[in-house]
Amino acid sequence: MAAVDMPVAGGHAEDSHGDPHAPYLKAKSGIGSWLFTLDHKRIGLMYLAFVALAFLVGGVFALLVRLELFTRGRTIMDGETYNRFFTLHGAAMVFLFIIPSVPASLGNFFLPIMIGAKDVAFPRLNLLSFYVYLLGVAVLLFAIVSGAVDTGWTFYTPYSMQTGASVIAMTMGVFILGFSSILTGLNFLVTVHTMRAPGVTWTRLPLFVWGMYATALMQILATPVLAITLLLLSAERFFGVGIFDPKLGGDPVLFQHFFWFYSHPAVYIMIVPGMAVNSELIATFTRRSIFGYFAVAMSSLGLALLGFLVWGHHLFVAGMSEFATMMFSALTFLVAIPSGVKIFNWTATIYKGSVVLASPMLYAMAFIFLFTIGGLTGLFLGTLSTDVHLTDTYFVVAHFHYVMMGGTVIAFLGGLLYWWPKMTGKMHDEKKAKVGFWFTFIGFNVVFMPQFIMGSRGMPRRYYDYLPQFEIFHKVSTVGTWILAIGLFTTAYTLLEALFRGQTAPRNPWGSAGFEWMTDTPPCLANFHETPVITRGPYDYHLATPEELDTGWDKVKAQAQAKKD
Amino acid sequence: MVTEAHAHAHDEHEDDGAVHVHIASTPFYIGIFLVLICLTVLTVKVSYYDFGAANIVIAMVIATTKAGLVAAFFMHLRHDKLFNTLSFLGALLFLGIFILLTYDDLSKRGRLDPAYGGRVNVQTGQAAPGGPPATSATYDALPEEAPATSGAPRPAQKRE
Amino acid sequence: MANVSDTAHAGHDDHAHAHPSFLQHHFDTPTQQFNASKLGMWVFIATEILMFGGLFCAYAIWRGLDPQVFDDAHHFLNKIMGATNTVVLLFSSLTAALAVRSAQVGKRNLTSFYLVVTLLCAAAFLVVKYFEYSHKFHLGLLPGHCFGHPGLSGAIENGREVGTCLRTTGTQTTSMPEWVKAVDEGGQTRVLPPRANMFFGLYFVMTGLHGLHVLVGMGILTWVLIKNVQGKFSKEYFTPIDIGALYWHLVDLVWIYLFPLLYLVGKPE
Repeated sequence: MAAVDMPVAGGHAEDSHGDPHAPYLKAKSGIGSWLFTLDHKRIGLMYLAFVALAFLVGGVFALLVRLELFTRGRTIMDGETYNRFFTLHGAAMVFLFIIPSVPASLGNFFLPIMIGAKDVAFPRLNLLSFYVYLLGVAVLLFAIVSGAVDTGWTFYTPYSMQTGASVIAMTMGVFILGFSSILTGLNFLVTVHTMRAPGVTWTRLPLFVWGMYATALMQILATPVLAITLLLLSAERFFGVGIFDPKLGGDPVLFQHFFWFYSHPAVYIMIVPGMAVNSELIATFTRRSIFGYFAVAMSSLGLALLGFLVWGHHLFVAGMSEFATMMFSALTFLVAIPSGVKIFNWTATIYKGSVVLASPMLYAMAFIFLFTIGGLTGLFLGTLSTDVHLTDTYFVVAHFHYVMMGGTVIAFLGGLLYWWPKMTGKMHDEKKAKVGFWFTFIGFNVVFMPQFIMGSRGMPRRYYDYLPQFEIFHKVSTVGTWILAIGLFTTAYTLLEALFRGQTAPRNPWGSAGFEWMTDTPPCLANFHETPVITRGPYDYHLATPEELDTGWDKVKAQAQAKKD
Repeated sequence: MVTEAHAHAHDEHEDDGAVHVHIASTPFYIGIFLVLICLTVLTVKVSYYDFGAANIVIAMVIATTKAGLVAAFFMHLRHDKLFNTLSFLGALLFLGIFILLTYDDLSKRGRLDPAYGGRVNVQTGQAAPGGPPATSATYDALPEEAPATSGAPRPAQKRE
Repeated sequence: MANVSDTAHAGHDDHAHAHPSFLQHHFDTPTQQFNASKLGMWVFIATEILMFGGLFCAYAIWRGLDPQVFDDAHHFLNKIMGATNTVVLLFSSLTAALAVRSAQVGKRNLTSFYLVVTLLCAAAFLVVKYFEYSHKFHLGLLPGHCFGHPGLSGAIENGREVGTCLRTTGTQTTSMPEWVKAVDEGGQTRVLPPRANMFFGLYFVMTGLHGLHVLVGMGILTWVLIKNVQGKFSKEYFTPIDIGALYWHLVDLVWIYLFPLLYLVGKPE
């Protein structure tokens, strides 16, 4: 396979790509201009559409699973269907939604703009990664149709070697999705290294780009191990190679080592982009330079590194050696350092900043709040003695939902609202966005706060039925999913309404000093009309000129007034 | 040893954005190849002698020397951007972390807790999931008269 | 970074390198494009190392826990065939490097010649591998529950058992059950250790994945060869040849480790 885009003669002819100075959405038209586009912005939007669809599908499964748990015993489905549904919820959310969510959509769109490049380093590889993603989605759908998988998203052996044959289709789908993820990561890494505009030094890189860079490193180093793990699982099923099979002399715990060597970094592949978005939001809406820029940038790399050293904490009760559990437990606590660096630097940035409570900033504040809860409860699980009791209970479920949903999804929604005007050229209705935010925020806490309580009281995760003393918690939790759904649908409506009927957005509606706001709204095909020469950092509000920080709302209002008159 | 030739396709100080690379001479590449062949012969030859635990060390040292030569000269890392070398070595570093920490777990199972690694069924010797894999080494070490702990499956035994 | 579209380098605008036909529109200079491609390939190589790394990890663990199996079972691999394949791959690596070199100095026909030699070596490697595999198949030295001779009725009945019914090629003289013995590459009838299936499982997965990479590498080199014959490359633009050769060297690198790990390291007689 050609890992690197091979240029062909004539590929540079700009007219074949459309007018570089026209807005990217209008530079070319027709369905072919989307299907064969090499423009990172359009690829980002296509990713966004499918990622949002995957979120919807995963969300519907979540609603059904919670609905089933509303009453004891059977509510709407039998136990087998329930097992399949929570597996599908997990697999869709993890592999289809959250891993590609921020990097492939927002990252694809904004990373090249933020470093002043015309495109990513390998545009064709970028498009290929999108189609590989679609192929992965198709194979996963096939697995679902052909008799869904009931292993949970982790495919633990030996159960995954015995259950239905659609495990193979499912793992092949995940394998293909892994390729897509690797290609995106490779592209971003090379882009950051070789495509920066003059003046974009490493110390002037926006923190979003630093986060994407750290994510790319993890995607590159971890995802291949997932690929070989799933290949071995297939080989196990077809030939009984025996590496994971105790009957043939193998060890099922080795599968967990293999799986979590990918999947723990994958957890950081999910959360680091959320943090990256959050840094941008905090800087813009406090109107000041990020406190401890260098520390925040390095903490992303620190998380990327530590992500590879702590996978064993998923195996504490799986039969790992006592020495290894102690070592992994100690290493796990180190993760608190880079996470704490980020949290404290964000709060220090907000302190005495000119805080503007626009809807993206609400999400940013919610991120800090929810991620802190998610992170601190992680310490309970990293401690060996408490983990023995809390592992595989709803406490774990609540913990990782606070990190994944309360962290990444909240940041993703905040980022979407923040960059929506730049991407579409249309401004959303702030009032509706804030209503959506409060429903989401409250609903989320109503869903998962009770799960902490029942988890600590011993309610095991993934169970179809439960004891009477847990009924009240399950009921509250299920009601919470409905509030959460209202919030998410309101937000989706707000964004779509803006797309079709929104006010035309000015160049820099939030008054940010970030590089991406310095170009047109929406950006022209070549991102900038001339290659920009950067002379300040993205958060240097004291160095930015008043024209750069001008929101342009006065002009928009004046135009609207003139139109009325 | 064949000398390494330095030649440049263009004048050195011309910053025209064109690609300038170090080009080694054909005899140099052939020299590297001959060294690689010698090392291959060496590694096969020493495999006929038993150095005990050092067998694998010797083989890996020779293999790593060969791999280093291929990477440095055939793959041009010697004259390439430093970051390319770093990404290559970085991959090996993370691979090392993966292998070492995993190996650490599997080699130390049951060191602290003797009841660890119990058997589901002592008669058939089926290992409990997560227990240490029954190996011929542990099988040899286990006393015959202690069936409660000696669960290593005899290969010839029939299983249900 | 020289930016040819900027006025800073206006003096060079009429230079032959300003807008060469091979330069993609989003790059400023051929150097930028070349560096991006090379870095991309090296990052890709890093992913390949980690993918094979999973297998090396499995190897390290099983060898560490059960060295006896590896000591005994590796006698069923043919050192001479393995060494031959090593030399073939090393030679193909040399010709791949020379193909890049001749492209760098602009000798197009020589590049094509070296690429063809590389492809022939790759084919030779696969032919040797084919003979090795078919011999293993014949002996029934197969991974996991396929272990044992597929043609024997006993083997099929006990198909999922450990080390069932290994049919030897010739003599069963002693009172040992026949499935634990086979004739090794040295011509001796040898007792197979329990869990020899693990060794052959690893052997087939590792060499199989490597063989797959050989096939993919042949595909890439063929593509490069076609483009080279069509005259797409010059001494200003030889990136695809360089990238293709890097991939081929990677295949060689993996084999450099596979060969001693599978064929050599074990107790000699």
